[in-house]
Amino acid sequence: MKDSTRTALFVAVRTLVAAACVALVVVERRTIGWGHLGIMLLALAGLMALLASYNRRYQ
Amino acid sequence: MAKTRKSAGDSRRGKASPARRPGHTRFVLACLLPALVLFAVFMVYPTVNVFRMSLYTWSGFSPDMKFVGLDNFRHLIDDDQFVRAFQNTVTLLVVVTVVTMGMGLFLAAIMTRQKLRSRNFLRFVLYIPNVLSVVVIAAVFSAIYDQNNGLLNSMLRLVSLDSWQQVWLGDQKVVLYSVGIAMVWQSLGYYMVLYMSSMSSIPEELYEASGLDGASASRQFFSITMPLIWQNLRTSLTFFIMSAVNLSFVLVRAMTGGGPDSSSEVLLSYMYKQAYTNSSYGYGMAIGVVIFAFSFLVSLLMSRATKREPLQF
Repeated sequence: MKDSTRTALFVAVRTLVAAACVALVVVERRTIGWGHLGIMLLALAGLMALLASYNRRYQ
Repeated sequence: MAKTRKSAGDSRRGKASPARRPGHTRFVLACLLPALVLFAVFMVYPTVNVFRMSLYTWSGFSPDMKFVGLDNFRHLIDDDQFVRAFQNTVTLLVVVTVVTMGMGLFLAAIMTRQKLRSRNFLRFVLYIPNVLSVVVIAAVFSAIYDQNNGLLNSMLRLVSLDSWQQVWLGDQKVVLYSVGIAMVWQSLGYYMVLYMSSMSSIPEELYEASGLDGASASRQFFSITMPLIWQNLRTSLTFFIMSAVNLSFVLVRAMTGGGPDSSSEVLLSYMYKQAYTNSSYGYGMAIGVVIFAFSFLVSLLMSRATKREPLQF
């Protein structure tokens, strides 16, 4: 696989994961409960993990 | 990146640090003392007091306070209103942060790189909301969202989109996002101007050189702009998380009061309601402890996740 293709694939996957995390937060808010709050917090942790993984290359 | 380090023995041998005059440390401490006293009285003591009060049951007025240990926290677990307020806080935190930071970066990049003619006017218009009081913003948006004569529903009627009309501040499904839009509008200009100032200081030669190498505008943004403004981005992101929690309280309080049926309640407004309206001061402080722990943890994790070696240019 070419470098440019791999980079594009990485960017696409990261964007999809970030969108999924935000969507998960919005969807889980509709139902009240500790379980749903837990999933929302996991989605928030997922967004931060994504940020950390993007940042790892520059550390 | 080259870094100079002093050997451990240097300071001990007296080569690195010059000899201090006697009384120098005492003078420094005397200068720091007023600030330290004020910090202790107005920051440390109230914070410790919040933790202490969360272990008591107290109406806020009566002289008798009853120690109940972790009972307030046990009640939190069974409190659906608290869970809902927590969920609303997390939703606003995620959605508003992503939209504000994303749009702020995008607009700053457009205005800095594309030499727009009306750049200064746009910057001025977008910055105005940050100068206004949050209560004024709440009043403006309450007028915009008005069900019958509001700007939003009137515009929708004008373009024959009657089915899109909503009771923006009265519908449980929509109300939190209506508040979120007001939050984005209030803070977008400030962060855009902040990023524009960072981007303006990046030397033009870097873009010219990358342009000659065939880099596209998006490539330049992610490979030159983002790394060089990263420290600024990191700081603003950490601050924004803390300020978003506070801003959501003020806007919710002024626009909806937590309604309809507590559907727009956030953690701080729920804490305020319990401590000052419901006369459950101890319970309110227990919610305060949870808010403190949550904000502190998210800010710490964000700071760790975005830690990076600063670049020099």
